[in-house]
Amino acid sequence: MRVMATAGNEALIATRARATEAARQAGGAPAAADSARVADTGVPVLALQGISLSFGGVTALERIDLSVAKGEIRAIIGPNGAGKSSLLNVVSGLYRPDQGMVRLGSERFTHVPAVRLAALGVARTFQNLALFKGLRVLDNVVMGLVARRRSGFVRQILSTPLARREEIEACAAAEEAIAFLHLDAVKHQLAGGLPYGIQKRVELARALVARPQLLLLDEPFAGVTVGEKQELATHVRNARDAYGTTIVLIEHDIGIVMGLSDRVAVLDYGRKIADGVPAEVRSDQAVIDAYLGVAHEGETELVI
Amino acid sequence: MFEFQFFVEVLVGGLLSGVMYSLVAIGFVLIYKTSGVLNFAQGAMLLFAALTFVSLVERGVPFWFAIGATLVVMVALGVAVERVVLRPLVNQSPMTLFMATLGLSYVIEGVAQLLWGTQVHGLDLGIDDVPFEVGGVLISQFDLFAAATAGALVAGFALFFRHTRTGLAFRAVADDQFAALAVGLRLSRVWAAVWTAAGTVALVAGLLWGARLGVQYSLSLVVLKALPVLMLGGFDSVAGAIVGGLLIGAIEKLAEIYVGPLFGGGIEAWAAYVVALTFLLLRPSGLFGHKLVERV
Amino acid sequence: MTTLARSAVSRGITPGRVGLVAMLIAAYGLVPFVGSDYVLDALLTPFLALALAALGLNLLTGYAGLVSLGSSAFLAVGAYAAFNCNVRLQELPLLASIVAAGLVAAAVGIVFGLPSLRLRGFYLAVSTLAAQFFVQWALTKFGWFSNNNPSGVIDAPALTLSGLTFSSAVGRYVVSLTVVVVATLLAARLLRSQVGRNFIALRDHEIAAKVIGVPLLRTKLLAFGVSSFLIGIAGVLWAFAYLRTVEPAGFNLDRSFEILFIIIIGGPASIRGAFLGAAFMVVLPLLLSRLGAALLGDVFDSGVLEMSQRIVIGALIAGILIAEPRGLISLVDRLADRIRHRLSRPLRNPTQP
Repeated sequence: MRVMATAGNEALIATRARATEAARQAGGAPAAADSARVADTGVPVLALQGISLSFGGVTALERIDLSVAKGEIRAIIGPNGAGKSSLLNVVSGLYRPDQGMVRLGSERFTHVPAVRLAALGVARTFQNLALFKGLRVLDNVVMGLVARRRSGFVRQILSTPLARREEIEACAAAEEAIAFLHLDAVKHQLAGGLPYGIQKRVELARALVARPQLLLLDEPFAGVTVGEKQELATHVRNARDAYGTTIVLIEHDIGIVMGLSDRVAVLDYGRKIADGVPAEVRSDQAVIDAYLGVAHEGETELVI
Repeated sequence: MFEFQFFVEVLVGGLLSGVMYSLVAIGFVLIYKTSGVLNFAQGAMLLFAALTFVSLVERGVPFWFAIGATLVVMVALGVAVERVVLRPLVNQSPMTLFMATLGLSYVIEGVAQLLWGTQVHGLDLGIDDVPFEVGGVLISQFDLFAAATAGALVAGFALFFRHTRTGLAFRAVADDQFAALAVGLRLSRVWAAVWTAAGTVALVAGLLWGARLGVQYSLSLVVLKALPVLMLGGFDSVAGAIVGGLLIGAIEKLAEIYVGPLFGGGIEAWAAYVVALTFLLLRPSGLFGHKLVERV
Repeated sequence: MTTLARSAVSRGITPGRVGLVAMLIAAYGLVPFVGSDYVLDALLTPFLALALAALGLNLLTGYAGLVSLGSSAFLAVGAYAAFNCNVRLQELPLLASIVAAGLVAAAVGIVFGLPSLRLRGFYLAVSTLAAQFFVQWALTKFGWFSNNNPSGVIDAPALTLSGLTFSSAVGRYVVSLTVVVVATLLAARLLRSQVGRNFIALRDHEIAAKVIGVPLLRTKLLAFGVSSFLIGIAGVLWAFAYLRTVEPAGFNLDRSFEILFIIIIGGPASIRGAFLGAAFMVVLPLLLSRLGAALLGDVFDSGVLEMSQRIVIGALIAGILIAEPRGLISLVDRLADRIRHRLSRPLRNPTQP
């Protein structure tokens, strides 16, 4: 139904998308009902309502609505500068939106508290790697559990039973995440010295070790080789299948996303221009225009 | 008892000495803006310039010739610093660069004093420090001269950076080093120009401060006066350095007279830092700074 | 041969630990008997105090990435706090005074660390100078701190521990050594714990650390607190065991820079680096004066020595940052690796077919 949309009537699309979203939230048939993988269509793990954000007059996001169901892999794609990273930063509390509401599980925020993010069951990775370069891989992954620590520094120095137990548990969980992502061979090396693709996997392990309910991946496939892309995609899917983690991922290479995601939302110039299962989005005229149109020179990564 | 005339006198005295702080701070800003280095050696350069000049004059070199020769020495020093120390560190963190300039300041101070000795030299710029009266307020003639010189220097730089190709290149580099590199600007030329400018500032500031305090080791500690100015005005803003300097100068003098006695005096050692710190805690982006969005 | 080595490793006996124990045995069992008073007084005791101060700063700057230019303020706070504990609470045993001095320094450090909650980078580094100048001013200005000595000078009491007096050169060395060993072990333990990881996470990527759930505010203040605690204790050793008469002017900016230079030279984020750097800093003037006197004779007076020392240290800082930002300890490690490699080769060869 959205196939006939063109760049000229984005407003109509946006309105329609919101209507669909609203209908779905009101208990109507989910837009992605044909996706077999969507495990649970009850309360969304993440819901954005009318998120707007601007930087000094430049609009980055305009009235974005988005809903992510439990257990799904949800992709947000769009050309460079479409506002994808801004959206993720709003969800993780690094940016404060000008308007709108973010719902994480049962809590609603106008500004998500970044310091409580881990406690809310949300983990994320970063576009340009955010590993702790001076720590070994194992310690990086252990860091992923820092929000669970109850023992303060005095107990840690004195090595009380609580501190010891926490340390043992954290190390065991980290070892498991490391094995899950096939990082055993490098676990005692400093993270900063590893090849880029491996660092990406370490970051994934650090995000996964806490078994988050919601995992936000910021361009997980950027800058890795083709072979590594497939491998990473497998790891992402495995993470969802093994732990039931809901995953939101941002990508501008839409090819790899299509095979991996259950539903795809497309952003362009800060607005959501399409939202649906991969097949729908792939043939959406607005999406094709956004990727191949004159507005974005040099953005021809769309492989249809 | 509060005397308005006395207050104005203190205020004017503070503003005028603030100009001297601004002068040192501008040397920092020039380098920080173009290369992202907080050059702690600025104070040592100031000492080096003043010592070189005084020693030349004491050996009978005519005044203006000594100025010219010192300027040449300072430019050579600046370019050497850039080549030998900063260029090899080009991809390091700003803090690493800062520490390198800290080491550098030790080297320059040591060399200056090995070359020219550690005794205190008097420096007479030929201006009588006779206070004169404007509307009932006593103003130091020397302070006024210093302020005028500093003002002229800043105006000169402003014209230079606005109206010359090198000035344009400087502003481009200050704005975005990589973009400047991408459009084919020769960074080495810009940096040479910047260090020349910083050397000139060091010379002028060194002469003015030297004439007031005597030319000696403690001259390099003038940086410690400039640092709170930079905190207040921002490390990257010439306007901030000027306004910050005036503010710190004025507040410092006023605080010393009106608040100092409450603590038994001597508070100028830290008052400027407390002022700058308080201001920054209330307004983290500083006087003129704009809040940068952290990109992740 | 190899199985023996392996089983040793599994029991926690690593080359590093063996070396550490050997050094401790030498430091306690050998040095006090063979070291002359000069060596103990002019080299080893200041080395220990400086090493502990550098370790304290390293926690803050090397590990947590928060640059402080005001460390000698905390040396001073430690020294004067211990002095006041001793004068005003005479029943307090020496050890308690030392710990109390550390706690006072930690409290002052946390206060001056508060700006770190809002300031970053250079702004924070410059703000630590406030501590430097304020503390020096306060100790000179208010007679109470120095028990009303007009110029703020304090004289250290004799070091007595449960009735025993340690006022000889050997005694002061042994007390310093013991304090430094205990403090270092505790610091090492802290750095191996989650708190230590948090420090490094804060340094390497503050935003990621925040999102992951590192309590940033607490971690920053803790870094300031623990760092100042150690530096404060080092200040007690500096004043009580090494100089024995100190004045506020001795805790100046140059001393702060000296401590910073120790960690740059030795190696940031390394405990051994702090010790190596401190050793270097203590030995350098000696080497220079011997070398200068041999090369230049009488021209090389104390003024020239001081200047050349500044030049050498400054040049070394710049040189190390350019050539080996991980400090001398990294060179030592590489050298040790090479030696170990060479030694193990002839042993291993016969076992390989």
